[in-house]
Amino acid sequence: MSMKLQRSTLGFAGRRVSPLERLWRGRVGYLFILPTFVFLGYFLYFPAWVSLSGAFTDWDGFNSPNFIGLENFTRAFADPIMGTAAQNNIIQALWGIPLAIVPSFLAAELIFSLRDLRAQYAYRTLFVIPIVVPSIVGLLLWRSFYGSGGLINQLLGYAHLESLQRVWLTNASTALNAIIFMGFPWIGAFNLLIFYAGLQGISSEIRDAATLDGSVGLHRILNIDIPLCIPQFRLMLILSLLGSAQRLVEPIVMTNGGPGFATTYPILYMYNTAVQEGDFGYSMALSFILFVVILILNGINNAVAKRYQ
Amino acid sequence: MSSPSQAQQPTAPSKPRKTKHGGWLELPKHLTLGLLVLLTLFPIYYIIVNSFKTVTELATSNLNLPSHLEWNNYGLAWTALQLPLLNTSLIVGAGVLGIVALAALSAYAFARIEFPGRNALFVLVFALLLVPGFLTLIPLFLQIKKMNLSGGHLSLILPYIAGGQAFSIFVLKSFFETLPKELFEAAKVDGANDFQMFSRIALPLSVPILVTVALINLVPLWNDLLLPRLVLNEQSKTVTLALLSFTGVPMGQIGNDAAINAGYVLASLPLVIVMGFLMRYYIEGLTSGSVKA
Repeated sequence: MSMKLQRSTLGFAGRRVSPLERLWRGRVGYLFILPTFVFLGYFLYFPAWVSLSGAFTDWDGFNSPNFIGLENFTRAFADPIMGTAAQNNIIQALWGIPLAIVPSFLAAELIFSLRDLRAQYAYRTLFVIPIVVPSIVGLLLWRSFYGSGGLINQLLGYAHLESLQRVWLTNASTALNAIIFMGFPWIGAFNLLIFYAGLQGISSEIRDAATLDGSVGLHRILNIDIPLCIPQFRLMLILSLLGSAQRLVEPIVMTNGGPGFATTYPILYMYNTAVQEGDFGYSMALSFILFVVILILNGINNAVAKRYQ
Repeated sequence: MSSPSQAQQPTAPSKPRKTKHGGWLELPKHLTLGLLVLLTLFPIYYIIVNSFKTVTELATSNLNLPSHLEWNNYGLAWTALQLPLLNTSLIVGAGVLGIVALAALSAYAFARIEFPGRNALFVLVFALLLVPGFLTLIPLFLQIKKMNLSGGHLSLILPYIAGGQAFSIFVLKSFFETLPKELFEAAKVDGANDFQMFSRIALPLSVPILVTVALINLVPLWNDLLLPRLVLNEQSKTVTLALLSFTGVPMGQIGNDAAINAGYVLASLPLVIVMGFLMRYYIEGLTSGSVKA
């Protein structure tokens, strides 16, 4: 009934009803979404517009901005700090993405392969428990672990590997890796649960048939589980890729990008350019570039997915 | 759950190949998982045991259990954290309530009310999922400063409500669309208006998904550092800001190294309590497929 009503009042044939009257009839709907759009307009759409348009200005936060065309962008592509930062971020992504995916998937496989479903639930819960600890605590703990008298050096001492001891975060050759590899054993609650849901989604007929064909263990993982969990892998890949481009809190807390620019990512450079230097125009150009990179990565992900479906 | 047959028979030996040895064959798996659990939970062990040590004991042994319980650390941590804990609870509580309330209204309209431009407006909301936080962070900070909230609680609550809309509307809209149409049609016949159908039919049927959406919004807000660091005044500072200020020279405002660990434990307790009651919704929400990007 509501469908019919909709056609006669809203469809092309509804010439009897004037546009204004159609808007008036939809007033309840508008009323429902009005609060949301007030908030979105003030706190998201307008700031997004300021950011995107500010990229083409020399705004310093005080004086009124002047349009300077692509000057910020040519400056960004010639900026050696941006080069270093991009390189750091690529290294981070090359390690960080596998670390976000592989350990969580393997843990999900192990849990799912248990026969006792109560044990499955118990392990799932145990791996999710760390989300109650504020993530800043994890970062501050790892910062202390990497200190001169920290846990890492302490363990190296126990193993009589004193020659390997160093102050990990202030050493330019180790700082970036220290940030990338913290969080051992890298099993994330969210990622684990997504993969577990993927494994659960594989129909038991397929599983039983594979078992009868002698497809067990590693063979089954490679030929059944991974291909059938492609949607979950795709989701994790794009999320960790986007996560890599947006790592801001980590370097702020651990090193503030140092020593030198050894742990500076483009997003941190963007942030410091605005917050510390007050160079808002240039900062917005940097975030514009990063935004475009993210859109491109997202587009590639979608295109690849379509091709293989 | 996508495979109810499994969920309904917790220990039933449905497969003939399961023998008495089945349990023993799983021992290596349990050992591996056990080790991984221990490593994953190690930071929690570390902060708990060290929160009860004296500074001298902590300096000599940070991996052992404490020789006695130094509750004084918790006194120091509580003094330093009580205001920030209250601030964070207020900000996050109000933020999450606001997110869910506004998002539920909008999601209901997008799912169940006809109005011109509905699809275009939904696309406008959906597009926000593609707008990364860093793009708006700095202008958002300037925008908040313009409101003259002088760094009080509202200067975080309001932008948080905006930030949670897109994802929450997306999830709730898909859920509202699955509710049987007949319920709403029957209510309409009985003379219910849209708001009554929303509050008396849709909301009561959606409690689990509303809780899931609230939790998924709550965790990142509880952890947020960037926006609080930019906008909050000293009086309104959140737990994350307070924790960050404890480290450094000379141990910030908390007193000593052991008390910092007590501070970490205290900062975790609110989420322990919330998750203690609601962890089920978080796990099932993420694994049942109702929440997927």
